[in-house]
Amino acid sequence: MKVSFASDRNIIKLDDVMVSLHCHHYNCGLVKVLEEMKGINARDIFIQAATEEFYVNFRNYISNYLEGKTVIEKTEAAADLYRFMGFGRLDLSGLNESGGIAYADSSYYVIGWLAKYGRRETPVCHLTCGFLSGILGAIYGQIDGKYIVEEKKCMITGHDICEFVVSVVK
Amino acid sequence: MAIESKKVIELASRLSIESNERGIMAAFGVYAAMNYNEFFFKVVSRVINAVDFKTAQTVERKLYDAVLECGYHTFHGIRTSMHWREHILPMIKSLEDEVYALVAVTNIFGIGFIEVEELLPGQKLVTVVKNAYDPGRYLEEYGIQPHGRCYMSSACTASYMDLVYGPRYPSGIGTFISAEASCRSKGDHICKFIAERCAKS
Repeated sequence: MKVSFASDRNIIKLDDVMVSLHCHHYNCGLVKVLEEMKGINARDIFIQAATEEFYVNFRNYISNYLEGKTVIEKTEAAADLYRFMGFGRLDLSGLNESGGIAYADSSYYVIGWLAKYGRRETPVCHLTCGFLSGILGAIYGQIDGKYIVEEKKCMITGHDICEFVVSVVK
Repeated sequence: MAIESKKVIELASRLSIESNERGIMAAFGVYAAMNYNEFFFKVVSRVINAVDFKTAQTVERKLYDAVLECGYHTFHGIRTSMHWREHILPMIKSLEDEVYALVAVTNIFGIGFIEVEELLPGQKLVTVVKNAYDPGRYLEEYGIQPHGRCYMSSACTASYMDLVYGPRYPSGIGTFISAEASCRSKGDHICKFIAERCAKS
């Protein structure tokens, strides 16, 4: 992962893509504001935007740095990217081209939400669902949005681990 | 005014903001994460373009509040850090210096370059941002906007004043309120924010 910072313009780039740093007050606040809006499916909007961004950016990352690498190496790079960005730690070893199950034993949104709002009854790792959908599409050379991801278990609801079930869109 | 913004940015950019082995960035009393600017633009712009004008304003007001909390707590964490005390605090000789330093330190987070245009001690702060990400994207995707879209910089502008001139942390949040006086997404040449004391404060 290559980070550059243009101090005269306050521009941070991660592998040549503009990024910014935000704290849990904003990131979790954004989720909460949108979830509380009637008529808006915040979860789907988060997943869709994350899918698109991680798909295109990880596809470019593969093209620039991982050409000729194995699927396992690309998958490990995706988990490294996720960890580097501060979203937590993922075990992606149970995923393949047909989907599978991924696990997180550390989650930014769980920690942030707990710190700010406490427990909740529904999963909160929407961004992770989009991340998984996006990076799998990039790794396997599929179209954007081929994979659907559902968080079946989330630590925010009291589980020991977050569990993401990935399947292929029929 | 003893604050050299360039020096503050250079010093602040050395702050350690890295994720640990569990992928968590804990810094200055908050949990930080790095994300694509385009992700935030897509999420927020898609929502406010899917609802009516009044609802969109409500959403943006709530997002302003979320950023205000973000800025208020994060900047407080920074100004009480050892790094700040060691390197930046010695430059600060007045409350006004602290405002300039907080504005400068904002310029390490990748949200566009913010500068002070005017400061009336204890009363009013005017900031400008020339290169925020969202306004340009709104113009590209949706055309001229009916009002400013930079709730992020607007709330940050209020948070500096809350911290410096409001009641002692953590009671001062919301002492000032900021409005976006101009925005590139509306066709203005620059984004400008004016924070003033709330009528109730």
